[in-house]
Amino acid sequence: MNTQANVSTAVLARAGKYLTFFLADEEYGLEILKVSEIIGLQPITRVPRMPDFVRGVINLRGKVIPIMDLRRKFDMETDGMQDSCIIVVQMRGIQTGIVVDRVSEVVAVAEAEIEDAPSFGAGIHTEFLLGIAKSGGRVKLLLDIDRVLRTSEIEALEAAQLHES
Amino acid sequence: MTPLTLDDAAMLLMQLEVSDTTDLALVRDALTALAFENRVPLTAQPFVARAARVLGTLINGTAANGVAAMQEVSAAIDDAMRAADGLAPSVPSVPSVVTVPSVVTVPSVVTARTGVVPTPVAEATPAMAVVDVDRLPDDADRDLLPDFLTESLECVSASENALLQLEGNPGDEEAVNTVFRAFHTVKGTSAFLGLARVAAFAHEAESLLSRVRDKEIRYTRGCADLSLRAADMLKALLSVVHTALATDGRLPVPPGYQALLDALAGYDPEQHANGVSAQPTALSESASLAAAPAKARPDSTADTTIRVRTDRLDRLIDMVGELVIAQSMIAGDDHFGTAKQHDLLRKVTHAGKIVRELQDLSMSMRMVPLRATFQKLARVVRDTSVKAGKTVQFITDGDDVEIDRNMVDLLSDPLVHMVRNAVDHGVEPPQEREGQGKTPSGFVRLHAYHASGNVVVELRDDGRGLHRDKLVQKAIEKGLIESDKGMSDSDVFNLIFAPGFSTADKITDISGRGVGMDVVRRNLELIRGRIDITSAPGQGSTFAIRLPLTLAVTDGMLVRVGEERFIIPLTHIHMSFRPEPSMLSTVVGKGEVVLLRGELLPIVPLHRLFGVPNAVHSPLDGLLMIVGDGARRTALLVDDLLGQQQVVAKTLGDGLGKVPGVSGGAILQDGRVGLILDVTETVALVQSPDPQLPYVDLRERRDVRDLAA
Repeated sequence: MNTQANVSTAVLARAGKYLTFFLADEEYGLEILKVSEIIGLQPITRVPRMPDFVRGVINLRGKVIPIMDLRRKFDMETDGMQDSCIIVVQMRGIQTGIVVDRVSEVVAVAEAEIEDAPSFGAGIHTEFLLGIAKSGGRVKLLLDIDRVLRTSEIEALEAAQLHES
Repeated sequence: MTPLTLDDAAMLLMQLEVSDTTDLALVRDALTALAFENRVPLTAQPFVARAARVLGTLINGTAANGVAAMQEVSAAIDDAMRAADGLAPSVPSVPSVVTVPSVVTVPSVVTARTGVVPTPVAEATPAMAVVDVDRLPDDADRDLLPDFLTESLECVSASENALLQLEGNPGDEEAVNTVFRAFHTVKGTSAFLGLARVAAFAHEAESLLSRVRDKEIRYTRGCADLSLRAADMLKALLSVVHTALATDGRLPVPPGYQALLDALAGYDPEQHANGVSAQPTALSESASLAAAPAKARPDSTADTTIRVRTDRLDRLIDMVGELVIAQSMIAGDDHFGTAKQHDLLRKVTHAGKIVRELQDLSMSMRMVPLRATFQKLARVVRDTSVKAGKTVQFITDGDDVEIDRNMVDLLSDPLVHMVRNAVDHGVEPPQEREGQGKTPSGFVRLHAYHASGNVVVELRDDGRGLHRDKLVQKAIEKGLIESDKGMSDSDVFNLIFAPGFSTADKITDISGRGVGMDVVRRNLELIRGRIDITSAPGQGSTFAIRLPLTLAVTDGMLVRVGEERFIIPLTHIHMSFRPEPSMLSTVVGKGEVVLLRGELLPIVPLHRLFGVPNAVHSPLDGLLMIVGDGARRTALLVDDLLGQQQVVAKTLGDGLGKVPGVSGGAILQDGRVGLILDVTETVALVQSPDPQLPYVDLRERRDVRDLAA
């Protein structure tokens, strides 16, 4: 599968196991291999002068890791948030936590169940999505977490530079 | 293991089958030992090494064809035997090596290695004559090379230091042996790894030293120069390998290689007695004086060490830190309030003691002595003094003082620069010194010691000293100051750290190009060092560098702003106080200033800078903390001081990038993360010309609003 994934694009690589979780009423999926652990909510130390989707940092067994809030990242409604836990994802050795309302389940999603994210026109960003899965009668939004975090990294950097210049 | 000769090995091999891996391994080890311990001539070593390597493939079953491999081994041993008796070249060191027990036992690195390396990799190229090899051998084991490089560089540094000792005391046999062993080890390992050129060069260097050791030639100044240059060349060769490893594997010849090789091979004591490149004979005095640090004899074999990856070490320290927190949480548990739990409390306290000891131990693991840094400087003094035509006595003291490994590299460059300055600008030429009634040889002393929780590295010279008037005049010329009115001596001396300031009357190729002391200070600031100068004209100068013991631990003041806590490094705090109403005033209705002992300081409310809700707004209700230096002195407004605390500084995670005003985070005693303030940056934030930046409008920050709600 690996070699195939290299040849054809990400389309083939989309099938696999996903950890699903809720942000408000929407169900999202994260590739299970990117998830390193799920931890209970902890006191988050706010970091000043950061974009507001950066909630702050926590102590993960002696390591300081940043915590992102995808609802703010996606400009979703933040009223009635009920952070319940943090999903720690790991990519290229960098650990980042994501606060979610609740973690749902681990599901295997077949390629046939995945559709490309439709375009809604201006104002609604779908480039963070690998696709949309319709399994078990529900819609699950499959996140391209690398892209989510990469852009947040860049934005944070830009924000920092803006402050300096 | 009884020593085996080549003949024995050949005999044994004939009796063995491909499947007798245990016995084959014995033969392999014997061959390895032969090659390393110089019991076969150098010309035969590559063949022996090849035989051992092929045997290795047989033993671990990676050989494609067992029978063919056996034949190859036999052929290699045949070649080795032919090379050994037929073409035995003039290798004067070989016979004597066997009789010196120290040499056989010495390459501890090497002997340890033979066990680790199942398939020793070697090139079949004869190590001697071949100098046109210009690539890393194809079958070179690239995993082994980095370790080889580190070890070899250590060997070369050790030899360099011993060479300097030798200059002072040419009869020091132990020093000769140290150098000899170092070159020998480099030769052995490089030959084994197929680095023919390194091996060939190390061989020539070793030969020269073996002649010294066998009292065949005297260790003269010329010989010393040659040996030091050989050490340099070895370093160059090793760095070529290093580059090759990272790039395309090409091994270009370092400049001057052939000339030096020839010089080494054709060294004639009569002809070169006074130096290969005619050195002024008067300098020999400085040589004898450079031996002062001899009492701290480097004994690298005395401590057995193990290399640990730094990230693992850091992780260990992190985990121990967590353990301390977890332990203090248990100890602070409410259950212990009752008398019933007395026994349990005793046990918990005992565990706490162990945990704290563990923490001390884990911290000490990052510490290394300053010795290596000081040794490097001895070389700098020697080279600089020769170039400047001065005689300088270099004394080091306290080179066993330990500092954080991460700081060593950052400290080294500034020190090199300062030592050069001291020799080049500080110490006068011999004639001038005599005219002033001083000893003709100058004096530079490097002294490290502990003082009130810091490490102080003091560099003292007995040279010209700094002239206040000259400095002031220069500073006025450069437009740095308008006059020296009201400036203390130390204020004036500190001018030399200003960018572009150089007091040297003439520019030499050693120092004095005006880039210098400002870089020194910047580098020292990186490791949170402070530098103080004391000096008197004609009496010399003293530069005292004050460093924290380790970068990992920051002494900080925990402050509260609203409901948030920040850590401010103690080194940046001058004082804190609760202001009286009479001390405060406003500027154009907005900016607040405080008048403290005649000094007007801007007040920076941290809560406004960092958008913290529910914080104290009036300086009268909070505390002012004076931070920063010079023009950047500022009064930070905080709510309260929570106490002094030692914290382990960590990055905030790579995902965040740089956070303005914050240098990192630390785990506080309750397990939460506290942010460590970067004071310089914070003050700069305030002073940034864009007015909206320092003061984030609270209403626009949704996160703040949420927190406040």
